[in-house]
Parts: sequence; structure tokens; C-alpha cells
Amino acid sequence: MVPRQDIRREEPAVNFKPEIVLLYCQNCVVEDADLSVAAKANSRFQAKLVMMPCASKVEASHLLKILAQGADGVVVVGCPYQQCHRLDGSLRAEKRIEYLKQLLRESGLPAERLGMERGLNLSGLQLMLLAEKRALAVRPLGPNPMKEGLAA
Amino acid sequence: MIIAEWKPLPELIQQLRGYHRLLLVGCAACAAECAAGGEREVETLAPLLRLALPAEGRPIQIVTRTLERQCEWEFVEELAETIPKVEVVLSLACGIGVQAVADRFPEIPVYPGVNTTSLALRQEPGLWSARCLACGDCRLGETFGLCPVARCAKSLQNGPCGGTRPNGSCEIAEHLDCVWNLIVERAIARGQMESLLEIRPAKDWSNSHHGGPKRMLREDLRP
Repeated sequence: MVPRQDIRREEPAVNFKPEIVLLYCQNCVVEDADLSVAAKANSRFQAKLVMMPCASKVEASHLLKILAQGADGVVVVGCPYQQCHRLDGSLRAEKRIEYLKQLLRESGLPAERLGMERGLNLSGLQLMLLAEKRALAVRPLGPNPMKEGLAA
Repeated sequence: MIIAEWKPLPELIQQLRGYHRLLLVGCAACAAECAAGGEREVETLAPLLRLALPAEGRPIQIVTRTLERQCEWEFVEELAETIPKVEVVLSLACGIGVQAVADRFPEIPVYPGVNTTSLALRQEPGLWSARCLACGDCRLGETFGLCPVARCAKSLQNGPCGGTRPNGSCEIAEHLDCVWNLIVERAIARGQMESLLEIRPAKDWSNSHHGGPKRMLREDLRP
């Protein structure tokens, strides 16, 4: 979990509210997490949460399809190193994401739209902060050109 | 299996320039086994191209299909309904599959999405190694099941050369085993070292690509 002070707060200069899809491993979140906090409407970004049985369930095609459908950023949340509930599930997810970032760079696309975070016993608020971190990373890139009406 | 790998993405993007309706077609046989052109790779490349092509000002519609085998006419025929609706085909099959589609549908451009590299064995997850060059005169029985044509950098028939490293790897790369070292080790293990000293007739290369394009005819199987 990244310390809160690492996140730089700044008011959006333009009317751009990044849409972030956050796919999280069910084992990373506390059982009674209030996920409505993370999914709640927010003035700075919009988060969509998707629970997975393990971070390794995410395929390369899933992440690219989410971006191709117009999401501004995607973040996968897995277990910390050596604490994965499926032994090497979060490591597999990380390898896939690094491979995808390489493909995006080779294609001339910004790899910052894709990211991975790790955490354990996360609350809804902490998930929201991870989504916000990705939102801040994609803000300089502007909206995803694949959004309806924006594609050239 | 036949193994292949994705072409560099800038090359793929370059060759699709100017097209607006694309059929991306994979093959569920060898290309899928080597993680280059199966359904999973087709479904990965399609959104990647959707993302990359509009960035260059070229919106594109992509239809995806994965054939059971792209090197068999009855499976290639499944594309007949889709072909008239697209402008170009990008095939993730080996060179055989690409040519089968191009032969069946000569009216449409068919581009290869992969480079076909060799006939290989999956050694472990994520690692494939060449095992055969389809030389047309198999001598595996004489070399204890290890192919010096495919696995020796010089395709030596009477190795090892002087470039074997002390640890048994090839001089061209640390991770490559010297196949002649392996052949000798296996011969010793079987107690048949003397068989490697036999004088054998020269290998017949006329049945390899040196003899021109290959063609196999079996009259008993013809209609």
C-alpha cells in the first residue's frame, strides 16, 4: 500500500474526469470492506471496481479490451510479494502487465494507462486511493482517444 | 509443432495503413500452441490494433476469427461469408495458413501477422527450441534421436567442431547445448560409441529445399 502522502493532489485544469477500472483480487480486501466508498461519485475521477478470485485471472486481452472500450486507466490489485493466496498468482499478473506495457510502448501508446498495485487487507477507501493514483498518472495523457466520439 | 512469433508491432501497424475493415484470423493448431496466433493472441492483438490505429488517424473495424486449422481447406472455407465484408486479412497462422487463405481468397490482400521461425518442441512453459528443419533425409536413427541438422549451428554431420565450450554449450551462445556433445554423451551411455565411427554415405540434400519446392503425391489417396 502506497503511503497517502505520495499522492499529489491537484485540481484538474480541464474538465477531464478520468475513468479508472480497478480489478482487484478478492484476497486483498478485508471481508467487510465498504466498497461503496470506492465506487462513489467523485469530482476528480470515476472508478469502476471488478472483483476477481485471483489477480492472475486477468488476461492480456481483458486489459486491452477495457482500454479499447474507452477507459482512461486500468489498475490491477494483487497480493504482496510472497504473500499471494495462490502462491504465484500476483506474480503472473505482474508479468502479464509488464508484457502488455511493452506492447503498448512498441505500438506508440502510453503504457501509463496500465498499472499494478499490491496490498493486503485493503479497505474500500484504500482501493479508492489506488484508483486515484492511476487517475493522477493518466491525467497528463488526457482522455482516452477511444472514448465515443473522440476516436479520430 | 511449427512455431512463429508476432511481427514487430510497428511493421504490423504500417502494413494495415489505409484499411478500415480488417479480418484478424488465428489458427487453433500450432500457432496457438506456440502462443503466437491462437484465439487468445487474436483477442489480444485486436484491441491493441484498435488502440494503435486510431492514434494514427485511421479508425478501423476489426472482425476476429480463429480457425481450427488454417492449413486445411474445409476450415479456411469458414471465412467465405466474412471475406466480402472486409478489406484486408491479417493472419496469425504460420506461412502455410497465410498462403491457404490467400489462395482461397485471391481477391483480397492477406498479410502475415507472424514470422514463422522453425519446427520446434516446447521445452518448458514459455520456451521453445528448434528440433527439425524438414531436410528430407532423416538420420535421427544414426544420431541417437538428436538432430544435428536443426540443432547444430553449422548443421555438421560429423561433429563436434572445435567450438564446444568446456561446459558442453555451443560457441555461438551459452544457452545453446552443443548437440554433438549430447550425441556423444548418449552414445557413451548406450555403450555404442563405435557406431559414430562408422563411415556413412553422404547425406542426400536433394530432397531438402535445395532440390526445389517439395511436392508429395500419393496416387492411392487421390480422388
